Amino acid sequence: MGSMKIKAKFKDGVTEVKLLLTSPMVGKEEAETKKVPVSYLTHVTAKVGGKVVWEASTGPFLSKDPYFMFKFKGAKAGDEIVVETIDDKGKTESDKDVIK
Amino acid sequence: MQRRKFLSLGAAAAAAMTVLPATLSATDYRKTAAKAWEAAGSKDAIAAMFGGGAMIEGQLEIKAPKLAENGGAVPIGIKSKLALTTVAIFQDANPRSAVVVMEMADNAVIDLMTKIKMRKTANVTVVAKGKDGKLYSAVQRVEVSIGGCGG
Repeated sequence: MGSMKIKAKFKDGVTEVKLLLTSPMVGKEEAETKKVPVSYLTHVTAKVGGKVVWEASTGPFLSKDPYFMFKFKGAKAGDEIVVETIDDKGKTESDKDVIK
Repeated sequence: MQRRKFLSLGAAAAAAMTVLPATLSATDYRKTAAKAWEAAGSKDAIAAMFGGGAMIEGQLEIKAPKLAENGGAVPIGIKSKLALTTVAIFQDANPRSAVVVMEMADNAVIDLMTKIKMRKTANVTVVAKGKDGKLYSAVQRVEVSIGGCGG
């Protein structure tokens, strides 16, 4: 389970990243109502060259399969962006993409 | 989970570094502001997350639909010309207010987007912390035609 989609594009000095993560993003309230297990991402980091360019502390009120778009300068096409996530059970996932 | 690595700025490293941002402050908002994630209302959640200080308005632009047809995925866009380190989203549509806290490095361009759940029509509040240490905020009311939080 879990596969993220990363799209990173470099244009005019700015890298734009679109991130689609996999998680039910179910918190305690929804778990109780729907009789499903609690499961949601708690933190996401995006790194280029080993340095964090963006990160988020996340909660269950983000949409299912969370989506993020963010932008930063200082990288270039050909650089690699690495995204790591961790959920409320401590399970981690990681994926990477080359900035185009 | 691997936390951010600190830069060691030797001359060679500095020369090779070009303009990639320095590491972020090591704040995991889930750990440092645990109570903020439990608060029901935005006012309490914001105070627990950022302290109860004054917040400057008019510097953040929220792009959200006036009427969201799908409360399960309401797009929230945030733009600003300011140098911000932290941008957080709160809402009064769900049982608890805090949604996400995003942190950016020095070379961030503040043009962010994410999608949130909203059970009902309510205010969405964005609070940001500037590099200047000041707090900024913006509010937008979003109408929701079909609730999206299992409600």
